[in-house]
Amino acid sequence: MSTASGALGAVYDRGYRPYEGPRGGRREGAFALYRASIRRALGIRRPWRQKVFPWVLLAIATIPAIINVGIGYVTRDQPRADFQFITYREYVGVSSALLLFVALTAPDVVCPDRRHRVLPLIFARPLVGSDYVLAKVGAIGTILFAFGLIPQVVLFVGQMLVSKGALNYFTDNAEVLWKVPIAVLLLAVYYAAIGVAVSSLTSRRIVAGVAILALALVPSVITGILLDSGDRNGTGVLAVLNLLALPLHLRDLVFLGHTDPEGPLNGVHYGGLLAVIVYCVVLATSFGILFARYRRPEG
Amino acid sequence: MDTSPSFALSGLTKSFGAVTALDDLTVTVPRGSVGLVGANGAGKTTMFRLLLGLIAPTKGRIEVRGQDVQADPIAARSRLGFMPEHDCLPPDQTAADLVATLGEMSGLPTRAARQRASDVLDLVGLDEARFRQIEGFSTGMRQRTKLAQALVADPELVLLDEPTAGLDPIGRQEMLDLVKRLGEFEISVVLATHLLDDVQSVCDHVVMIDGGRLVLSGPTTQLLERAGTVRVDVEGLNDVLTAALAVRGLTSSVLDDGTLEVAGEGRSTDELLDCVRDVVADMQLPLHSLSTRHASLDEVFLRTAGER
Repeated sequence: MSTASGALGAVYDRGYRPYEGPRGGRREGAFALYRASIRRALGIRRPWRQKVFPWVLLAIATIPAIINVGIGYVTRDQPRADFQFITYREYVGVSSALLLFVALTAPDVVCPDRRHRVLPLIFARPLVGSDYVLAKVGAIGTILFAFGLIPQVVLFVGQMLVSKGALNYFTDNAEVLWKVPIAVLLLAVYYAAIGVAVSSLTSRRIVAGVAILALALVPSVITGILLDSGDRNGTGVLAVLNLLALPLHLRDLVFLGHTDPEGPLNGVHYGGLLAVIVYCVVLATSFGILFARYRRPEG
Repeated sequence: MDTSPSFALSGLTKSFGAVTALDDLTVTVPRGSVGLVGANGAGKTTMFRLLLGLIAPTKGRIEVRGQDVQADPIAARSRLGFMPEHDCLPPDQTAADLVATLGEMSGLPTRAARQRASDVLDLVGLDEARFRQIEGFSTGMRQRTKLAQALVADPELVLLDEPTAGLDPIGRQEMLDLVKRLGEFEISVVLATHLLDDVQSVCDHVVMIDGGRLVLSGPTTQLLERAGTVRVDVEGLNDVLTAALAVRGLTSSVLDDGTLEVAGEGRSTDELLDCVRDVVADMQLPLHSLSTRHASLDEVFLRTAGER
């Protein structure tokens, strides 16, 4: 070690210290990429402008829960104390607004890697294309799951606390403790896979964001028009082509055991099964695009 | 102690459709600083991609530090660091964050990756700038960041693709000094470049490829030595001497100043000097001067590639 000392201090040339500690492999590398993608999506270690959107969105998504709990508190001594502003099942539908989050964050965690040619740096590590895909989809999916679940937790805990008997409320509503996570998970995986797959096709964030919204909203509008104008019995099957609402049919299967009696799939033979099949096809297509896109490691 | 070479190629061929990027390369490259030299499009970057296991060879075998790359590219990559030629840094991240994150992706635990990032950024001279966003970095700082990320996981071998590209003379020299220092830390280096001066000043061993084919491979000093020439001044008798040297298998040409430059394929400059001296002495020619001239790698490359 060499030093250059002076009256005000010393400059140390510490040279190079070899690393002799533990080393992980693919799993640890992919997990590091996953964590880095979550940090990026949430704006952690980034300028404050990048932090605002996700947390504001989470706050907005939690507002219905707060309102519901507030109403429950105010009306706790009223005859209709069991009034609910929003049900757990409906709240999963509110989470479909997280598509806006996907349209902004999925391109942000995927497109810059291609645009700024970071992929060669990533794939010079002990990682392969599928690790990259799973890390990115996992990161977006995890945030969506958390943002879909946290308001439900607020709702559940709040309702439990303002109810006349917390234990009774817990036991009466215990089934949502598994139904909500499953329904939110189905929604999160679906939106994350679509968002990351679309983002993988371009290096421009704005193009990816618009494409994600268009992919979700255009079929939604078209199927909405067709369902409203046509013979409901004949066109109900088209509801499964509404990519935005497709996971909500699966939500209904989880919560109700069948499709929504007031929903567009009501009366469609095997409507629930059809929704599951289309859901799986969309997921398979998304992952197919992603694995093909990152089959060559340098993208 | 592991004494395996930096890398070994055996009959390596890589084709992209009808284009053959690398053609039947067989070479064993020792540890230390190695220059991978060739013109643009010679196949240097393709060779790096093959060494990293990012693409599969059409034919042949690749070993990196004794590890068969095709059999286990992940294991091979865990021993390597790679500095690409092109700009590849996300502008909205700090150097410290980027290098630490890439260290974690190489398998280092989080705390170790942060510490290593700090150390290597210090080593490359970015200690004060490491918490600044990369978008504000100069070309030299970006190149140093690229070098730091290649070193963060303490690789056994670092692949540097044109590390001095785009640097001004001072920045270039500083980068070469950094590369030279890696040898002190027992990190082997493969420096791909078309700037032969860079290789000459840094590398112990040179591998030259041209059009995807191996031109030559050997220790730098030996190549330079063997490409050296002798200048001899026997005023007015150049024709006689040229004929006598040709008999010994030496080629000579008359320079503008009237002296004769003598080259001997495969002979060191000392051997060449002895040979010319003996011919002049045998012929009892009036010798005015006799001197050696060392070649540059540029000359070696041009001469060898030209002969092919």
